[in-house]
Amino acid sequence: MSAEDDRLHHVSEDGIRQLVDAFYVKVRADAELGPVFAAVIPGDDWQPHLDKMYAFWSSVMLTSGRYKGNPVIKHTVIPGMKPELFARWLVLFDETCREMFDATVTAAFREKAERIAESLKLALFYRPDRPWPPQATP
Amino acid sequence: MTFVVTDNCIKCKYMDCVEVCPVDCFYEGENMLVIHPEECIDCGVCEPECPAEAISAGTEPGLDGWLELNADYASQWPNITIKREEPADAKAFDGVPGKLEQFFSPKPGQGD
Repeated sequence: MSAEDDRLHHVSEDGIRQLVDAFYVKVRADAELGPVFAAVIPGDDWQPHLDKMYAFWSSVMLTSGRYKGNPVIKHTVIPGMKPELFARWLVLFDETCREMFDATVTAAFREKAERIAESLKLALFYRPDRPWPPQATP
Repeated sequence: MTFVVTDNCIKCKYMDCVEVCPVDCFYEGENMLVIHPEECIDCGVCEPECPAEAISAGTEPGLDGWLELNADYASQWPNITIKREEPADAKAFDGVPGKLEQFFSPKPGQGD
């Protein structure tokens, strides 16, 4: 995509918007994630979700407090949710970060994304009487 | 996993954390805040915001008691998402050791 020199060296609201837009282009085209998202995006209108994600990542990376919500509950109602989807999500997110940001910023996004993914996965799938991490579902 | 509020929040209760938390997972007691472990998404945004350095990653050793206290009181105390003035004597109590034994109050705070 962009040459090494064009990559962004810091996080800004504008950079977050570009990242989220580029990431969801990949998500929509992805064989694993695309259908799962499509099933919960009303009327194929992605803008409300993108707006929410700009605010979310702004809160996480810029501590702006712009996002207010309960992502755990949101994820519990997604049909076809599987623990493995988080790994795929992280691959695409990291790939998009690397295309847009320098290595330091990419690592900062990766650290946050991995923590949050693990936390959501635990909240959704951890059961004290079953092995963790969960076994792949057939 | 989850972040947890620990000893130095007691009687300091600066509340800077509640403004930055994206998922509104802080709950207010009379003289400290706690984090709801099932709502926290482990983003870590609150940790550096705390002037009393009272917030830790739940994965750090020796926090079992605090994890339990946070979980217990998060389900009893009211939610807080808007910062108010800290107690007038917050600074005087910042860093005082053993506040749990001496000062902890199980009473709920006022919340939002």
